[in-house]
Amino acid sequence: MSAGPYNYSYIFKYIIIGDMGVGKSCLLHQFTEKKFMADCPHTIGVEFGTRIIEVSGQKIKLQIWDTAGQERFRAVTRSYYRGAAGALMVYDITRRSTYNHLSSWLTDTRNLTNPSTVIFLIGNKCDLEGQRDVTYEEASKFAEENGLMFVEASAKTGDNVEEAFLETAKKIYQSIQDGRLDLNAAESGVQHKPSQPGRNPLSNDQQANKDNCAC
Amino acid sequence: MLAVHRDVVNIVQAKFLSAEIVRSIHLNVFTLEEIWSNDNRILALVEYNKSFALFVLISSKIKPSCISDLSIETVTPVDEFFSCDTEPLEDTQTNIIFIITYKKIKRAFKIEIGLESSNFASEVIRSKELSLYNKPNFVWLDKYIGTMSIPSRSSDIEQDDIPITRHQIAQGQTSINRESMLKYHLKLKEAEYTQKQEFTIFVGTWNVNGQPPTISLRDWLSFDENPPDLYAVGFQEIDLSKEAFLFNDTPREAEWHKYVTEGVHPKAKYKLVGLARLVGMQLVVMVNSQHYHYVRNISVDTVGTGLLGKMGNKGGVGVRLDLHNTSLCFVNCHLAAHVEEFERRNQDYKDINARMNFRRSPQAIKDHEQVYWLGDLNYRITDLTTTQVKTLLLRNELPTLLKADQLNQQKERGNVLLDYQEGDINFQPTYKYDLYTDTYDTSEKARPPAWTDRILWRGRGIYQVAYRSHMDLRISDHKPVSALFKSEISVVDPIKYRKIHEDLLKKMDKFENEYLPQVTVDQTEVVYDLIKFREPQSREITIANTGMVPAEFEFIRKLDETSYCKDWMRIVPYCGSINPGEKCDVKLEVNLEMDLPKLYDILVLHLKGGKDMFIIVNGECQKSSFTASISLLCRISVPVMKVPDDQWKIADKGDSNVLYSVPRELWLLIDYIYRHGMKTKELFESSALHEEIARIRDWLDFGSLDPFPGTVQAAAETLLLFLSYTKDPVIPYELHDNCIAAASNYQNCKQIILQKVPDLHRNVFLYICMFLQELLKHQNDNAYDAKTLASLFGDILLRDQIRNSKPQASRGKSNFVYNFLVNDLSSSIIPPK
Repeated sequence: MSAGPYNYSYIFKYIIIGDMGVGKSCLLHQFTEKKFMADCPHTIGVEFGTRIIEVSGQKIKLQIWDTAGQERFRAVTRSYYRGAAGALMVYDITRRSTYNHLSSWLTDTRNLTNPSTVIFLIGNKCDLEGQRDVTYEEASKFAEENGLMFVEASAKTGDNVEEAFLETAKKIYQSIQDGRLDLNAAESGVQHKPSQPGRNPLSNDQQANKDNCAC
Repeated sequence: MLAVHRDVVNIVQAKFLSAEIVRSIHLNVFTLEEIWSNDNRILALVEYNKSFALFVLISSKIKPSCISDLSIETVTPVDEFFSCDTEPLEDTQTNIIFIITYKKIKRAFKIEIGLESSNFASEVIRSKELSLYNKPNFVWLDKYIGTMSIPSRSSDIEQDDIPITRHQIAQGQTSINRESMLKYHLKLKEAEYTQKQEFTIFVGTWNVNGQPPTISLRDWLSFDENPPDLYAVGFQEIDLSKEAFLFNDTPREAEWHKYVTEGVHPKAKYKLVGLARLVGMQLVVMVNSQHYHYVRNISVDTVGTGLLGKMGNKGGVGVRLDLHNTSLCFVNCHLAAHVEEFERRNQDYKDINARMNFRRSPQAIKDHEQVYWLGDLNYRITDLTTTQVKTLLLRNELPTLLKADQLNQQKERGNVLLDYQEGDINFQPTYKYDLYTDTYDTSEKARPPAWTDRILWRGRGIYQVAYRSHMDLRISDHKPVSALFKSEISVVDPIKYRKIHEDLLKKMDKFENEYLPQVTVDQTEVVYDLIKFREPQSREITIANTGMVPAEFEFIRKLDETSYCKDWMRIVPYCGSINPGEKCDVKLEVNLEMDLPKLYDILVLHLKGGKDMFIIVNGECQKSSFTASISLLCRISVPVMKVPDDQWKIADKGDSNVLYSVPRELWLLIDYIYRHGMKTKELFESSALHEEIARIRDWLDFGSLDPFPGTVQAAAETLLLFLSYTKDPVIPYELHDNCIAAASNYQNCKQIILQKVPDLHRNVFLYICMFLQELLKHQNDNAYDAKTLASLFGDILLRDQIRNSKPQASRGKSNFVYNFLVNDLSSSIIPPK
């Protein structure tokens, strides 16, 4: 087993950004642990999470950097954008101010990442329909105008959380397939691993059987 | 426990909770399987509340010296499913193979034979015995499952080709053994995603005595009403020719294969799984085609044990396969002939086991979950004459005869087919008949009849439903034998499997996240009391490792910064390693030596392979005349602490009127020295108490009306400090080179001072020089000479931009200042008020 015992072929780096309190850490936690973290303390720093997913039969390891949203940390968190293949930009549908700040987050993302970075806009807390402050249509239009992928999600119920992370990965993977994302380029945010996939006991490789057969 | 290992035991013990007691360890353990990394390992038997578990630890050193040298690779509970065993290692007398088996999982280690190994093995065996009496509970092991598979060395990991700074986690550190861990856990959970399904297996064996096939095999192979799921049909002596023996090539292989294909049950379709042949031995394994899809990992091997111990006239041929999730192995053998050669037969059996290697996991016969052993084993009836045997047969006294059967005898003594089972024999001996008859050998030799042709099995869930001979097939001097089995095969439920597989992946993801280094800091915002000039303050933060792995921390620099903290801060220690459950105090010291309204920074505390934390440091600074600019000090009417903010700002920009030709504070210091210290020896060399200087600083900054709060020496030192920390040096940086170049010529020096140095700075410069000239007038008392003073003040008046840097041009600066100490300055002076 000299090929190395990785059971994933790619590593994608993600960052999660957006105003304080929009639920970035909860989204990460929901995605990695499938649990809602009530009373989540403000992130003072950059949390780290990882999960292996599968896209088109390829195992991909996501390594996700969840940044502090407080304005005073903005200058510091900027240094984490570098080399991100995916950026999840989060606002809170019940607080318009968090939506209004999106353009500034977007500017940072565009300036600090490379053009192939997939930016996914997430309107979090969609379980709080009664307190909605930003309409779906409005955000959808914003996303469209800026070429962002968009979904409304809830870290609490888990709605669309999985989708947002997976769709981002699919898009990145597509970019690799299309050759738009150059794996050799510095800071592409993607690493390719010489995968040595384990034999799946369910895969029925008739050809392999034949090869081993003395008939 | 060996005394020499006491220290290592303590280190290993530190890996566990105190109630989890390391009972025995074994150092220098090496794996024998390729799938595991080639690290140095330690085996540790750990007890918690009467339940034992065997841990495999990877040690980054041959003898670990601290807890971080060790990482847990796997853990195996010592319970009913656990067993351990030793086997000799070929080619060496000094080492032995130590084998741990748990359910289907097996690991083999090479260890050195000695006191350590025998002690350890006996401890493990004893713990296994204890576990059978107690009802051990292994919940305590759960927390270790996640610590497993953490690599011991990051150097094992391929280097990152993307310059993501310091994100070592990108290497997937914790994934190093994920694949093998996944396999391991899937095996452990096999019962949850498989169910037992009964398969009918027909096993047949026939020594055909070199005869070609001429009769249908239906009466043998299709004897039963219902078609079996799997056939394993073995022949011996299909070809007795020299060609077959020497070149292992015979047309009979295809012929017998064809006859088998035609002879299998007509009610089902069969597909060939594997065919193994060596000289006269042939084994054909066929499966009902509806199951063919679930057969994989087929492999065949042959072992010759005949002439010279290796020729194929005797030996065995094997076919292995996985049917669904159960590993099956069929071995067809032909062991040594002749009554007296039973020991040779035992040896042949052992050789077949030792040498048959399917070159895929599991490789050896005995590692299969189900083994079916068939063939002409050639064991005879012993100690009875042919007549006696025939008489007993006539009386149908089979039990008496079976007692005289060598195979039964040898097996009972543990010499052959030790853990195999055989069904009751209710059929006549199958050897030796006159051809085409059911009559026992009537030739001269008149060999006694014997049960040479046998079928045995080994493994769980195998039930024999028939064991018989087939008298109607008369072309050979042997009769064919067959056995029908109902065997339990593990069939994977794809839905359950997928779920468990996914759950495991999820669990491993979760573990991976949980077993990232985790620390907490007791404060993320550090606030200092009012920070005063050159009065260091320190605060301590405590970093506590709340995770499961040692945490390596380091304060790292932010993008576009040159250091991990600002000039005014010192972090001790700025990096380190903390073991789980332990803490580390970090001192954050600030020291203000420049003009700043407040100190503020965000420190980034990075965990290697984990998250980053931000720590905010914050403190207001007290204004001071020290660190202020000469220009500002000349423009404020009152002491700095009494200056309103707006006036300060305007003065700082140089927008308000110049009120003094030199800073008031400078004048006060020099005036005091002038009046009290001109005759003092070593005026500038003595060092004052820190508090005394602080008092003088405050006396100046607050404009106190009290008498001067210090000695002349303190005043002199304060003067030097004041001149050393003014926001800009008395002679602007950009003129230093000019000054040094001009130093040999007073006129040139004077020209620089008069034409290039800004007015207020020129005033200060000349004022100082005049004061020094005054001082030199008293040199008989104070013992100063112009050179000494020039040298002392040269470095201060023309101080370097980077503090504490070695003054490279000290001599030049000193010479420059010297000019102004020995020449008449009256023409350039605007005297202070």
